[in-house]
Amino acid sequence: MTANKRRSRVLGPLVVVALILAACGGDSGDTTTTAGEATTTAAEATTTVVAETTTSAAAETTTSAAAGGEAVEITAGDSITATFLPKCTNIAVFPQANSGAEEAAAELGSDPAEFVGPADCGDTTGQIEFMTNAVTQGVDAIMLSNNSGDQLDAPAQAAADAGIPVVTWDSPIPSATGESVFVAQVDFDETGQVMAEMARTILGDDGGEFAILSATPDAANQNAWIAAMEEVLATPEFENLVLVETVYGNDVAEDSVTAALGLVDSHPDLELIMAPTTVGIVAAAQAMTQEGLCETIKVSGLGLPEEMAPYVESGCAPEFALWSFVDLGYLAYYVAYGIATEQIVAEEGATFVAGRMGEYEITADPTRDAGLRVLMGPFSKYNAENPGT
Amino acid sequence: MTESAAEAAPKSTRFLRPERVKEATLLAIIAVSVLVFAFLIEGYLSGRFFNRVTTSVVVVTLLAAAQALVIFSRNIDLSVGSIVGVAAYLTGDFLAATGQGPITAVLVAIVVGAVLGSVNGLLVAYGGVPAIIVTLGTLALFRTLLSIYSEGANVLAGDLPSWVLEFNNVTLFTIAGFQVRLVFLIAVFVVVGLQFALARLRWGRRIYAIGSNPSAAAQAGLPTASLVFWSFVGSGALAGLAGFMFLARAGTISATAGAGLELESVAAAVVGGVSILGGSGTMVGAFLGAVFIDTLKLSLVRVPEVSEFWRDAFLGILILAAVILDTVLRNRFNRRWSAEARKAMESTGPSAVGMARMAGGGGGTADA
Repeated sequence: MTANKRRSRVLGPLVVVALILAACGGDSGDTTTTAGEATTTAAEATTTVVAETTTSAAAETTTSAAAGGEAVEITAGDSITATFLPKCTNIAVFPQANSGAEEAAAELGSDPAEFVGPADCGDTTGQIEFMTNAVTQGVDAIMLSNNSGDQLDAPAQAAADAGIPVVTWDSPIPSATGESVFVAQVDFDETGQVMAEMARTILGDDGGEFAILSATPDAANQNAWIAAMEEVLATPEFENLVLVETVYGNDVAEDSVTAALGLVDSHPDLELIMAPTTVGIVAAAQAMTQEGLCETIKVSGLGLPEEMAPYVESGCAPEFALWSFVDLGYLAYYVAYGIATEQIVAEEGATFVAGRMGEYEITADPTRDAGLRVLMGPFSKYNAENPGT
Repeated sequence: MTESAAEAAPKSTRFLRPERVKEATLLAIIAVSVLVFAFLIEGYLSGRFFNRVTTSVVVVTLLAAAQALVIFSRNIDLSVGSIVGVAAYLTGDFLAATGQGPITAVLVAIVVGAVLGSVNGLLVAYGGVPAIIVTLGTLALFRTLLSIYSEGANVLAGDLPSWVLEFNNVTLFTIAGFQVRLVFLIAVFVVVGLQFALARLRWGRRIYAIGSNPSAAAQAGLPTASLVFWSFVGSGALAGLAGFMFLARAGTISATAGAGLELESVAAAVVGGVSILGGSGTMVGAFLGAVFIDTLKLSLVRVPEVSEFWRDAFLGILILAAVILDTVLRNRFNRRWSAEARKAMESTGPSAVGMARMAGGGGGTADA
């Protein structure tokens, strides 16, 4: 027994170290998702109050910089501190976006932004903590891909109140509360159009049944794309395409496989699964591959060329689309830097030049009721002729 | 020793042992829920659904077995989800680099899992730190190390040898649309093997003995530390094998692979009648628990009335209902059973039956 005790004195501190490291780790997706949903209503209640003050606050902070007229070239100046907050850190596209942001920071002579976020994309409430921390630290700018619906309204407003520009990229804050500007990868309506077109290409003119495999029900960009696609589907050109169901795989591989196979079982006439998420599309393609269903059910959506390569080759995923996440991170950093250093103003009509990517204009966001947008674009479509790898 | 002790037990109790009752109840509950879902979902009862469940249950089955192995000795392993992630990722990396075959891949996964399990085992068995704290720490530690190692990059399906993507579909034989797949057979083989070993072999009985009463087991001279250590190594190895299965199922592995599976494995084991206090439960029970939870999950996805938001809550409610029903039924049997035992004790004298209850664990020490 004494020997055991002595050993425990040595090993005890090791466990403490392990536990400290534990604090840096993520937590499990499934359980937190439901918790997040439960708090949604509470967050929504505060939204309406703060939303009205947003636009005036954003306008007041900036008067010195040039607005309208010729494009302002964003140039290197002071080094800024910034937080680059993705939906989660463990999906390949987000480190890619961060590498673009790092490239931009290097060009602008600034320190790279801190790349932090929930480890797991199923964790829809984790971003609140990171936002709040960034505001407390008093960073000069926050770049956010929102994964929490309206739940980030309050911390984003707190950032705006503290004079910190919140530049969203990839996924905006739906109400635009506290948000300076949204750097959109592609026009959300265009995403709907592109997905509908790919569905028609794959299903042919006689059409057929297809289903959508999304990420989480809270992901603002997913929901906007699906809504845009549904609008396109309502037009006569696409009347033969029947959307039978939308399911969610939480951007978790296992859940997405289960959801995809559930679709197959629920809809005997299903011919296509459209997954506007890089995790979902590859999980669906793998599920069809291992069940030998690729002949009857195709997979399409938004995917990373390097992840989709084997399924394009096998014919399981004849066509899919995406934009460059590196460019998106690059542009987001330029915009955030420009606003933080007061070279540009986050208001309608402002134009600027963002390094290697050229000239952009800030406009009202046509896909939301409020908010400003910088539109990056365009889409790249990938298929057997253009595998992208 | 074990054999003769069991022989000594009165005939009437031999087939109605409590664990058999638990397993039978759970089997009945699974059957009832399948029937209910068959009414709710069109075209539910088919060979196809059998194939779905038997393929998807493999990972959780192996993890439930891993979990049960340590719970039997009154420990817990919350790091199994992270071990799955690390094993899946490293095995994927290894296969992408070398293009080896299935047997090597399985061995790599098992070794990775066993090494991580031995970290838990060292800290719990020789460090004297409670298992829940150690494995809570390593749950995050293993995951964080994986995140750092992966640098956010995924193991890509395209880089893997092509057999990996088809592995889940390898079917040994088909009876009327019901496919018996290799992966399922492996899982069943593992469960049956462990069931046999734990029930019949000396180290198996000793693990139960430690779980029933750790200090008594130590007093009796059992090598408790090394048994606990090896049970964690075994748990890690099983989680590693589950990691390989996860790789074969998902194809693309991110650093979050397997996150959350630890809770599912505990749920499966507990639903399967494994006492969280240690000392009782069976591998077959844990397996049935995994089948039950997986069947619920796969079935609920197909009930359109249960929305995305409610599915997890609904799953939780159904699991609770199953456990409550199981407890109620078991208590009834237990009451009858202990009354019988009392009667038997009165007729044969206390020591014989008492020793039989203690099973082989205590008995084995005499030979050691």
